[in-house]
Formats: sequence, C-alpha cells, structure tokens
Amino acid sequence: MIVRSLNGLGDLLMYLGTVLRSALGSWRRREEIFDKSLLVIQQSLATTVFAGFFVGAIMTLQFTLQVQMFSALSYLGALVTSATVREVGPLLIAFLLSGKIGAFTSAELGTMKVSEQIDAIRCLGSDPIREVIVPRFLGIIIASFFLLSFGLLFSFFGGLLMATTFSGLPWEQYLSQIPRVVSGFSILSGVVKCFVFSLVIATICTYRGYTVFGGAKEVGDGVVQAATQTMIALVVADWFTTFILEGLINV
Amino acid sequence: MIAFKKVTKSFGARTILNELDLEIPQGKIVFILGMSGTGKSVLLKNIVGLLKPDSGELYVDRFPVHQMSEHEMMDVRKICGMVFQQPALFDNLNVFENVAYGLRRHFELSEEEVSRRVEESLGHVGLKGIEAKQSHELSYGMKKRVSLARTIALKPKILLFDEPTTGLDPISTSRVNQLILDLSNQLGTTSLVVSHDMESALKVADHIVVLDKGHLLTQGTPAEMQESTIPLIQDFLAEVGAP
Ligand SMILES: Nc1ncnc2c1ncn2[C@@H]1O[C@H](COP(=O)(O)OP(=O)(O)OP(=O)(O)O)[C@@H](O)[C@H]1O
Ligand SMILES: [Mg+2]
Repeated sequence: MIVRSLNGLGDLLMYLGTVLRSALGSWRRREEIFDKSLLVIQQSLATTVFAGFFVGAIMTLQFTLQVQMFSALSYLGALVTSATVREVGPLLIAFLLSGKIGAFTSAELGTMKVSEQIDAIRCLGSDPIREVIVPRFLGIIIASFFLLSFGLLFSFFGGLLMATTFSGLPWEQYLSQIPRVVSGFSILSGVVKCFVFSLVIATICTYRGYTVFGGAKEVGDGVVQAATQTMIALVVADWFTTFILEGLINV
Repeated sequence: MIAFKKVTKSFGARTILNELDLEIPQGKIVFILGMSGTGKSVLLKNIVGLLKPDSGELYVDRFPVHQMSEHEMMDVRKICGMVFQQPALFDNLNVFENVAYGLRRHFELSEEEVSRRVEESLGHVGLKGIEAKQSHELSYGMKKRVSLARTIALKPKILLFDEPTTGLDPISTSRVNQLILDLSNQLGTTSLVVSHDMESALKVADHIVVLDKGHLLTQGTPAEMQESTIPLIQDFLAEVGAP
C-alpha cells in the first residue's frame, strides 16, 4: 500500500515536471490560456464570492461569543480577519474550487482520453501535454489564484457586515485594530497559500483526468479520485505551508 | 513493411501480446481478425508508438519503433496513419479543422493546399460539403467517416484501421472497403485492417491474420481461410453465411 502510494506520488511529480517544462514554452498560447482562465472564473465566481462572504460571517459569529467573554469586542475585526486570511478562507475556498473546477477538468480530460482523442492528437503530429494539458493547467492556476483572492476579499466584507449587524460593533472599531494584528506577513501568508492551493488543484485534477483508462465508468472513478485526493492534498499542503511560513517568521 | 519480432506487451499481470511474430508486406491489404479483447487495438497502438512493447522488436518501414522516443516517433506517424476504433474527433473543432489538424501539424502546407486536401478526403468518404458542421451535429457513422478522412488526408504510406466499418450502414461499409482497395491500387498504400467483419475481409484482403490470446493463430489468403478447419475461423465464416 505504502509503496504503491509512493510510486503514485513519484509518477505525479514526474508528470508535474513534464507539464512545467512544457509550460515554459507556452507564451505563444497565451490567448488560449487566458480564455481558459476566463472560462474557469466565469464558472466559479458567483460560488466563490458567496462562500467567501459566508466564511467571514461565520467567523465573526464564532469569535463574537468568545471575545465577549473577555470583553475584548474591539479586537473582533483583527481576529476574524487574521484567522480568515491566513487559514480558514484559503482552505475553504480551495475545497470549493476543487469540487467545481477539479471535477469539470478531470471529467473533460478523462473523456478525451477514453474517446481516444488524446491518442489522435499524438498520431496527428502534436503533443497533448502542450496542446491540452498546459492551457488548462495554467488556466486553472491563474483563475484559482484570482478567485481565492477575490473570495478572501469578500470574506472580509462578510465579517464586517456581520460585526455591524449582529455583534453591534461600529465599523470604525471593527477596522481599527486590524492593522495591529493583520501584518503584511498575514497577507503574504494568505497569498502564498492561495498560490500553493491553486497548484495542487491544477496538478491533481489534470493528472487524474489525463491518466484515466477505460470507459465511462473509469471517467467517473477518475473524477471521484481527483476530488478526494485534491482535498487530502490541500489539507496536507495547508499544514506544510503554515509550518514553513511560521518557521520563516521565527528566524 | 511492418515487422513484429517476438513482441510482448503486458498490462500489470495480464499479458496481451505474447512473443508475437508478424510481418505485413509492403503494399498489401492485411486483415486482422480476433475475438474482442485479444489485443488487436493494442497491436495497432504499438505500431504508432502510442504503446511501447515490453520486449521484442518492432519495425515500421525500417524504423526501429521499439527503441524510438516520443519525439522521434513523429517521423513514423507522418508515414503511418491510424484510424481509431472510436471516431475520436475533437469536439471543440468543426469538421474542417478536424480534418486539417494533422495536415497543419505534420506538414507545412499553404492554406489553399490544406483546403484542397480536406475537401478531397471528405469526398473520398462521401461527405463533401459538411466542413462547417460541429462534430456534435454528426451521427456516429458520419463521425467515423470524418475520422477516416482526417487520417487519409495525410496520404500516409501505411494505414492502420481499427474496425473502420463497425457501426456503418452497408452502403458506407462498401464505400470504405472500396476506398481501402483504391488507396492500395492507386498509391500503393499498405493497409492493416482490424475487423470483425469476415465478409469485408474475404472481399478486400490480400491476406488474413487471425489472433488469439496474444498469439498468431493462423494466417493465409482469403481462399485459404475459407478452407480452414480451425473452429474459431469456422465461427467467423458462419457469421457471413459462407460455405
Ligand atoms: N492502456 C491500457 N492499460 C491497461 N489495459 C489495457 C490498456 N489498453 C488495453 N488494455 C487491455 O488489453 C486488452 C486488449 O485490449 P484491446 O483493446 O487491444 O482489445 P481488442 O482486441 O481491440 O478488442 P475489441 O475487438 O473489443 O476492440 C483488454 O483487456 C484491455 O482492457
Ligand atoms: Mg479494439
């Protein structure tokens, strides 16, 4: 089991290497990549904004009860924003995107694979990694990064709205303590996570789709695998980036 | 010419081709028959390097395919076209762009030349004038013929067909059979045709090869096959209602 998983991880990393090498020469295809990102953004913008907004709102609800116990309501904005930007926001939104973009991409690529379109591309003188994978891979990275950042922005508004309506904290006060707790580092940390998570989603979902063999059933299996493996990888990547980033701040 | 020398191909523990020896002579039409799942598609995919033999040697027109890289294989794929078992059309492109796909990538042709070749190949499969259609507007049989047109547009010296007539109506079937004969007669194309269709095989083939369990069961001319006493071949013949 363990050997098999390690083998699988090795194959995945080799695949990532090939895709990245091929991506280097993809400037020529920038229009297609741009189109793909736009498509992904269109598909997921509404969901992301919605989810982001509620993540902020939920965090405010939770923290309100706790800071009230210490009569520290004025720190609410700072705590909510910090927790959301650094941890909860990126992870939750990435989960959402892995369901949405990931399933779409792995199903699309899996279908191309089992209907022999990928084989046909090779026979007709081209490279499927360059023609099919790279535009989707880069498209997903660009789009997820944008969506994650956008979702985080809305989580901030969600938090703010909840604080003024539910917690009865004027918005100036909600904002006032934020600069003290939310440093440039917190924001950087959020941005780095958004990037890492985008990479995770793009890699696993294109890989799972591209390596499907069989028929309709196998495409279905591939989509399910893509979804579960992406989520597991996201949690691990979250832990890992937090670990590294916290390590960096302490030196 | 295509030559398999003790070619073995396995997936995991399952051996699909087992030390297969087979020669396809230049300019001939060879039909490959065999039960579903014996590895006929796997055999064709090895020839164009979509799959790699685990061991053995495989030559296509003196190219040692078994030891060539994906990049080097492009030279082989230029002279050796494959028509897949499924239509495998690109859904995001219209018929014209589908047929032009290989022309644009394998060769450097002028736009007029590309158009001319696309029109000509669609004519060969009886589908003139559908260039602007999207692939989802076509029936299965039409897709299959467009797919055929896409491969013959490259005018390859060697053509591999994976069940080209399965799912086609009788008229399209005889048109495709005639096309295979014409290409062989007019351009000297070598054709390797995987098929379940004994009737077509008897009409068109110079030579028939029967595969079973990764081995060559028997081979011979259509006339020899009709005399065969091997049960599997008699089953195939019974399908046609031949004596
Ligand atoms: N890439 C692959 N990975 C794993 N197994 C494969 C792969 N390609 C083919 N196989 C297996 O090899 C066996 C032979 O498949 P193949 O498609 O060559 O059969 P076939 O003779 O063409 O059958 P049919 O007449 O139904 O098309 C099948 O059991 C198939 O599952
Ligand atoms: Mg087959």
